[in-house]
Amino acid sequence: MNPKHPGVVAVILILVILTIPLAPIPDYWISLLNNIGLFSLVAVGLVLLTGVGGMTSFGQAAFVGFGAYTTAVLSTTYGISPWLTLPIALVLTAAAALAIGSITVRLSGHYLPLGTMAWGLAFFYLFGNLEFLGAHDGINGIPPLRIGHHDLFDGRAFFPVVWLVVLAAMFLTTNLLHTRLGRAIRALRSGTIANEAFGIDTAQVKLIVFVYAAVLAGLSGWLYAHLQRSINPTAFGINIGIEYLLMAVVGGAGHVFGAVLGAGIVTILKDQLQDILPKLIGGQGSYETIVFGFMLVVILQSARNGLWPLIINAFPAGPEKLPVPSDDSLAQRAMPKSGAVPVLDVRGICKSFGGLVAVNDVTFLVGAKEIVGLIGPNGAGKSTTFNLVTGLLRATGGEVLFRGSRIDAMPARDIAALGIARTFQHVELAPEMSVLENVAIGAHIRGSAGLLAGMLRLDRAEEKCLLGEAARQLQRVGLGEYMHRPAGSLALGQLRILEIARALALDPALLLLDEPAAGLRHLEKRELAALLNKLRAEGMSILLVEHDVEFVMGLTDHLVVLDFGKLIAKGVPAEIRKNPIVLEAYLGGVV
Amino acid sequence: MKIPRNIIPLTFAFGMFWGSGAMADIKIGITISATGSGAAIGIPAKNTVALLPPTIAGQPVQYIVLDDASDATRAVSNARKLITVEHVDALIGSSIGPTTFPLVDIAAETKTPLIVMNPATGLVEPMDEKRKWVFKILPHDTLLAKGIAEHMAKNGVKTVAFIGFNDAFGENWYAAAVKTLNERGIKIIAKESFTRTDTSVSGQILKIVAAKPDAVWVGASGTPAVLPQKALKERGYKGQIYHTSGVASMDFIRVGGKFVEGAILPAGPIIAASELPDSNPIKKLALDYIQRYEALNKIPYAAFGPHLVDSVHLISDAVPAALNVAKPGTPEFRAALRDGLESAKSVVLINGILSMSPTNHSGYDDRARVMVRVENGAFKLIR
Amino acid sequence: MDATTLLLLGQDSLISGSIYALLAVTMVMVFSVTRVLFIPQGEFVTYGALTLAALEAGRVPGTAWLLLGVGVVAAVVALFRLRHALSLTTAIRIIITDIGLPAVMLLIVQWVAPMKLGLIPEMILTLALVVPLGPFVYRIAFQPLAESSILVLLIVAVGVHMGMTGLGLVFFGPEGYQTSAFSETVFDLGIMTVSAQSLWVVATTAALLIALYIFFERTVSGKTLRAAAISRRGARLVGISTDRTGYLAFTLTAMIGAVSGLMIGSLTTIYFDSGFIIGLKGFVAAILGGLNSYPLAAAAALLVGTVESFSSYSASAFKEVIVFTIIIPVLLWRSLFSPPAEHHE
Repeated sequence: MNPKHPGVVAVILILVILTIPLAPIPDYWISLLNNIGLFSLVAVGLVLLTGVGGMTSFGQAAFVGFGAYTTAVLSTTYGISPWLTLPIALVLTAAAALAIGSITVRLSGHYLPLGTMAWGLAFFYLFGNLEFLGAHDGINGIPPLRIGHHDLFDGRAFFPVVWLVVLAAMFLTTNLLHTRLGRAIRALRSGTIANEAFGIDTAQVKLIVFVYAAVLAGLSGWLYAHLQRSINPTAFGINIGIEYLLMAVVGGAGHVFGAVLGAGIVTILKDQLQDILPKLIGGQGSYETIVFGFMLVVILQSARNGLWPLIINAFPAGPEKLPVPSDDSLAQRAMPKSGAVPVLDVRGICKSFGGLVAVNDVTFLVGAKEIVGLIGPNGAGKSTTFNLVTGLLRATGGEVLFRGSRIDAMPARDIAALGIARTFQHVELAPEMSVLENVAIGAHIRGSAGLLAGMLRLDRAEEKCLLGEAARQLQRVGLGEYMHRPAGSLALGQLRILEIARALALDPALLLLDEPAAGLRHLEKRELAALLNKLRAEGMSILLVEHDVEFVMGLTDHLVVLDFGKLIAKGVPAEIRKNPIVLEAYLGGVV
Repeated sequence: MKIPRNIIPLTFAFGMFWGSGAMADIKIGITISATGSGAAIGIPAKNTVALLPPTIAGQPVQYIVLDDASDATRAVSNARKLITVEHVDALIGSSIGPTTFPLVDIAAETKTPLIVMNPATGLVEPMDEKRKWVFKILPHDTLLAKGIAEHMAKNGVKTVAFIGFNDAFGENWYAAAVKTLNERGIKIIAKESFTRTDTSVSGQILKIVAAKPDAVWVGASGTPAVLPQKALKERGYKGQIYHTSGVASMDFIRVGGKFVEGAILPAGPIIAASELPDSNPIKKLALDYIQRYEALNKIPYAAFGPHLVDSVHLISDAVPAALNVAKPGTPEFRAALRDGLESAKSVVLINGILSMSPTNHSGYDDRARVMVRVENGAFKLIR
Repeated sequence: MDATTLLLLGQDSLISGSIYALLAVTMVMVFSVTRVLFIPQGEFVTYGALTLAALEAGRVPGTAWLLLGVGVVAAVVALFRLRHALSLTTAIRIIITDIGLPAVMLLIVQWVAPMKLGLIPEMILTLALVVPLGPFVYRIAFQPLAESSILVLLIVAVGVHMGMTGLGLVFFGPEGYQTSAFSETVFDLGIMTVSAQSLWVVATTAALLIALYIFFERTVSGKTLRAAAISRRGARLVGISTDRTGYLAFTLTAMIGAVSGLMIGSLTTIYFDSGFIIGLKGFVAAILGGLNSYPLAAAAALLVGTVESFSSYSASAFKEVIVFTIIIPVLLWRSLFSPPAEHHE
């Protein structure tokens, strides 16, 4: 959400939060609103984790417990002021999340939720069996928060604290999502390959999100302990963990405001259902559990993105402001000079998958300011060669040198940082993100702003440069007018061009293009050829896989021909055209 | 500006208002664990609501019952709702320790008399400004545990193994066992835990049997308490097995069958109501409750239901005096009610005969406990 | 720890391990065929045990009503989806199979339940009531989302679990039940005793596992399941209906869940919410086995049973903590040795 005057909105919200306790609202509703605020904090974390980052956790309640128990123990047993326990509680929660997260976040999607379920259960029993945590009876008599000489004893006094914290969390989280790191987080859901190829350490990004969500949960726990002033393990069990997830899903797992909406709906429904349902149905039973269960199923079937998008779509937003390509642009890489060491030097690389040899002893060079075509029939090993060069696959033999230094043992993201950018045969973009943001992913490693800078908006100057650069590259490839569309709405040919723009945003010295012309019309191919020629003139080297023979022949300086993983010919296009082995193996004598 | 208090909730939601529509003069709020892990204890109480008297001292009474789903957060929420939205004159609740303890703070903060239906001694001791508002309708768990300890001492038991729930219930009973057994020089030589839904306790039982205790004390409630007893019998354990008052229901015998024959437990007098001498004033109350409960619900009564009847009984004992001081719905009435509860003298309840004092808010004596043995599928009084 | 204790704990491990093995194997099957991590598997165990308990007590179990209820929902959903291309015969067929059959079942149960026909007929009746719930659950909850991500399906599975547990409390109440055993015989082997019932459980598990193996290896239906597990798209290309394999997988899983319930219900007390923990332990085993291998899952289940037994012996208060954290080292191992760049979720 991008309101026109975020400052005004914030001031209004703060005023509302400060006046609500003064309004003649019954205490009970105040305490219900307090609970909604506490749940919202956890749900905001889950929105980032699940809705945006694509990781599901059933174990957030355990992190709430971490925060609550830390402050409860410190403030009762050791008599430390609650305000001093806050940083300790947050750091402990973060440490726990870091430990658990580093084990699970690297695994594919479903291991994390199952892992969270297991530790959610384990912590419940752990909390209940540790004497210093008060065992199953928990800890009572936790001191209230104190501001000046004023104890925040009742819910009314506590209300502004809870909701100002929620507001701050929403503000910071929204900020975060619209930054360099935020784009990396949002791109997580669409797979890790492209991100790694553009220098993003996806495991690290996942871990950051995981810890961030846990810290919000811990914060909620800290507040909870001082609001309830007594805690025990039943508030941090696996059922509660499932309920937090329910809140995020109901509200809209991809939206920060959805978290508050979801927390509100679930809490109020729960409150009201227990009044109404027994009257309708009577008898014993856990009716709201049944209702919540079915609600989850129905919402996922009919409104996958939760209820918040339904609300927000009723108020269409105005057109977004276009970022102007900025003058104070990013530092440019010095391009390799012709005649010096080759830009790319592939020496006898091999790759086998089990018994299948996909690439076998392939050797070729790409010089500065050269366009080299890599051709061969389907299954010849061209894309595998690309993956070996860019570090997405590890070679089983041979060497790859980039500007004279070995890169074959480096991870993809480090290779990207050296200045190798690529496109993919099967488009690897984040369809829900805008075209501009997808391109900005390409410029990721040219920025440096991290979590804190993003949350506090200290990254604005750099952001302007990154987005400006992205816009510049989009205009260069002719997609400027689509800048604010979701990437998923473009045609396949346009997506391939979009991938080129993203690769250019990395400011590469070497560009690897996997079938860039597939899906383009004749005129578009000519424009693409012109663009590539221009890039070469500016000093870039290009390695190209392409099936369109005319396109390749007209553009490239050299050709490298593969068949069944083996190099069968090298040379200038005119020679290759006449090479009988190539004609036999690849062109089948047609040309 | 005074906005009618109903308007805002109405804009939020529906169904805020309960039942009859007519404004009753006295309001009693009840929060119990009718679902979740405490359901076995909460449901008999819920089934008892319909048996509560419609009037107290000539005043109509409105009972407002909420379920806290065995979750502490919900229990707190319920209590706040009952006190601040419904303006109840007294609060009764809840079924298990974790949902009961948090109510103490709220009762003290809002100056509302609270009657707790949990045996934990810590609810009313040590007496202080907060606990002043709390009255316990159950005897202390130590009073019940004392029955077991005395029976053990009388029968020459020197060593005991304890196996209890891995939750607040089990822990509280363990504490009570330690206290009462130490006083009599009986040693606890093994302590094991299990979970309500465990499918096997073989490991724990092996360890207990290996320790060769003279007797075993099972700190569990309801049907789950059968599991350790059954495993002990299957392992050929010959010593006496004791249970807590938590198994005083026919469900325990239904599931346990021949395996629980001979088990000994302390319980409220109702468990052996028909065997009590006619001179015992509790007998009539208890039989009356059983008859009405079973007629209404068509299922056997469980020992957790009478706590609710007793709680209301205790309140009604204090109401007439409080009515002389102030009208229901006012802080003055609640304060007077609290004073009345504190000066209760020899009130005959199903649970026993209760006398409160400023220092003792669970004033039962040994008449609140009988020792029974399971014989031929029924609880029989040990005389 | 002496030899007898070791043997007894081993026996205990084997019994609980074999129940977990059945659950773990079916979870692997359901996951590979439909990509659903079927958390509610444990509820079929409880429903099986408690339905039999109700029948033994001569009562009509709530599951009979539930079957009719989900039948009606399934029929309404089916009729609504087909509303534009609905012929009278299809409509009648849907109504007969989805509403008619469950209604007939309900009438039969109402008629025979008070007769207390004995263990075997009651077991058959229990299976007839509980097993059809499996395919109905698939149709109502999962089929419309069959192409969604694993995570969405997982959250739906949790929703189904919540609904089924809640209904379990309504149908069966908060207290536990135990069903009668096939056999009360106890063999005295000198150092330890073995109940015939526990031998029954282990033997039935082994028989079911072998039957599953034969089913997958030798029958056409089994092979279609394997094909769908390898590649849904591939299976469709060669004319295998993935809807049908989904039904089949859920029928099998409901059956094995219910049979596990019949077995475990005679050994221990089962509560309306017992299923979740039992099912999760099956899950722990399935994860330990890597979610793609039946023999590994079964072996891991025995390991889970063993860890559980031995930790209940040596540190009973921390038993659940230990059982649920044994997956951490496995996850750690997988995290260190699996390729970092995995493809889409």
